[in-house]
Amino acid sequence: MASHNPSSEKSGDGRLAILLLALPLGLLAATLVLPMISAVNISLHDIRVIGSEGAFSGLDNYSRVLTAGAFWHALGVSAVWVVGNAFVQTVLAVLAALVLNEKFPGVRIARVWIILTWIIPTVVVVIIWRWMLSPSGGMINPFLISIGIIDRPVGFFSSGPMALASLILINSWRWFPFVAIMLLAGLQRIPADLYEAAAVDGAGPIARFRAITWPLLQPTLLVLTVMGTLLSFNVFDIIWLLTAGGPAGASETLPVLIYETAFKAYRMGDAAAMSVVASLMMIGLAILLIDRLAPKEAAK
Amino acid sequence: MKRGVPGTLVLVLSLAVLAALVLLPMWLVGSSSFKLPREIISRFPTFFPHSFTLQHYQKLLGTSAFPTYFLNSTLVAASSAFVTVLLATLAGYAFFRLEFRGRDFLYRLIMVAYAFPSIVILIPIYLMFAKVGLIDTDLALVIVNVTFALPFSIWMMRTFFASLPRELEEAAAIDGASRLATALYILVPLLRPGIAAIAIFAFVSSWTEYLFASVLIISDAKRTLPVGLSGIIGQYQIDWGLLLAGASLSILPVVVFFALVGRWFVAGLTEGAVK
Repeated sequence: MASHNPSSEKSGDGRLAILLLALPLGLLAATLVLPMISAVNISLHDIRVIGSEGAFSGLDNYSRVLTAGAFWHALGVSAVWVVGNAFVQTVLAVLAALVLNEKFPGVRIARVWIILTWIIPTVVVVIIWRWMLSPSGGMINPFLISIGIIDRPVGFFSSGPMALASLILINSWRWFPFVAIMLLAGLQRIPADLYEAAAVDGAGPIARFRAITWPLLQPTLLVLTVMGTLLSFNVFDIIWLLTAGGPAGASETLPVLIYETAFKAYRMGDAAAMSVVASLMMIGLAILLIDRLAPKEAAK
Repeated sequence: MKRGVPGTLVLVLSLAVLAALVLLPMWLVGSSSFKLPREIISRFPTFFPHSFTLQHYQKLLGTSAFPTYFLNSTLVAASSAFVTVLLATLAGYAFFRLEFRGRDFLYRLIMVAYAFPSIVILIPIYLMFAKVGLIDTDLALVIVNVTFALPFSIWMMRTFFASLPRELEEAAAIDGASRLATALYILVPLLRPGIAAIAIFAFVSSWTEYLFASVLIISDAKRTLPVGLSGIIGQYQIDWGLLLAGASLSILPVVVFFALVGRWFVAGLTEGAVK
């Protein structure tokens, strides 16, 4: 991946690199590495309100957090959230990418503007869907009734499973175009003559998709699955603003629980302990996914 | 490859569904912000407003703190974009052209940043910023936004540098230009599309950032759009007209920005994805 260049002078490289990288890497060290170390430190202290001092308490926070039900409940909700998002987004994005991979008038414009849902602020996403899904005055309920899917207005956020499902669909609406654009890049790398050869052999569109597109798209899908898992695990604002983790904790993912523990229940130490455990799990999951899903021949 | 009649039909249908999914909600929000309240909540939404009013915008701009939030967000997002472009260009060039020990290791390490849940650093960042007096300042938000945009931007920038033909540098070297001069006067100007892509990425992610802005900013006068607007959601009895007007004005800048340089951004995303 690195572009080595034997002919270039190397003597000044080290010094120049330090010069160029000092600011960017210095910033990241101060705002990412240092806080992560500090999070571990906080998790080992009995700190309540933010900014207050607390006594060293060893692994007390960890044992308290890990033996309480709230953490495991939130972890379960997070798992449903991550898997649900991965599934819905992948399906929508593959379909969208296949459409955008075709040639038609205006395709270049469509490839740019499809990403519109991703560039608008989350709070706007929240306003849009609260309005459209509202049981009084929203348009989704009358629409679903008129095409006969439901026979009376539904409260999309009133029951636990419905709230979580609605949130997953809304978040997927926001993210699937982004995934589709990435997939499109993968699709465009597939040589066109493969399709032509298959067509000559009499393979129909579905057979071509299964024999060529799907297998050759796997590396791109792997990267996107790992990225998507980490990104959607992280999502906080859309859940917080739509349901605040409710009803009755049904949509309380780990980030929401951590936020509530730190800023509503004022237990900084506990919140830090949970976030450290969550980070370790995420890194473990990323390694596992890469190891499991990566095609073996690409692993050399 | 040729499409038959059924193929064309499927394509047109899926395009219509896709457009409805992405564009229809935006259109309804924009057009409804000009409707009278009664029409906004009518059971079957009108595509074009039958009634026309500017009352929601007058209320939003005249009586709410929305203009302040808007200005704060613009300032924070523009500064974040500027700093991100600057730092990403420096680092992107170093990772692309220079040979030094630990380069590949450092480059990969930067990308690991995204594996950590951002909520992990929220509490420590708050404590750190409180110590140095950065709480309730725009600078705090700029620092945080740059931090989150930078790793991805460095990754994109390095890809953009790598896409330039190497003969350019060789020709400049023969002409006696130093490497820094070559980078500054020949490479960077050619990277305008890449710079635009990174600027829009950093601008958009700052424009939409909610979590840190909700914790690090305390006074209402310093609030940014996402936090301010979410406050308006709860503050009044749900006034859809007001919220839709606020939503429309919050979308507007990113749409304008995107109309100007959006194609470079998408090209940047896809170019990065294939490397």
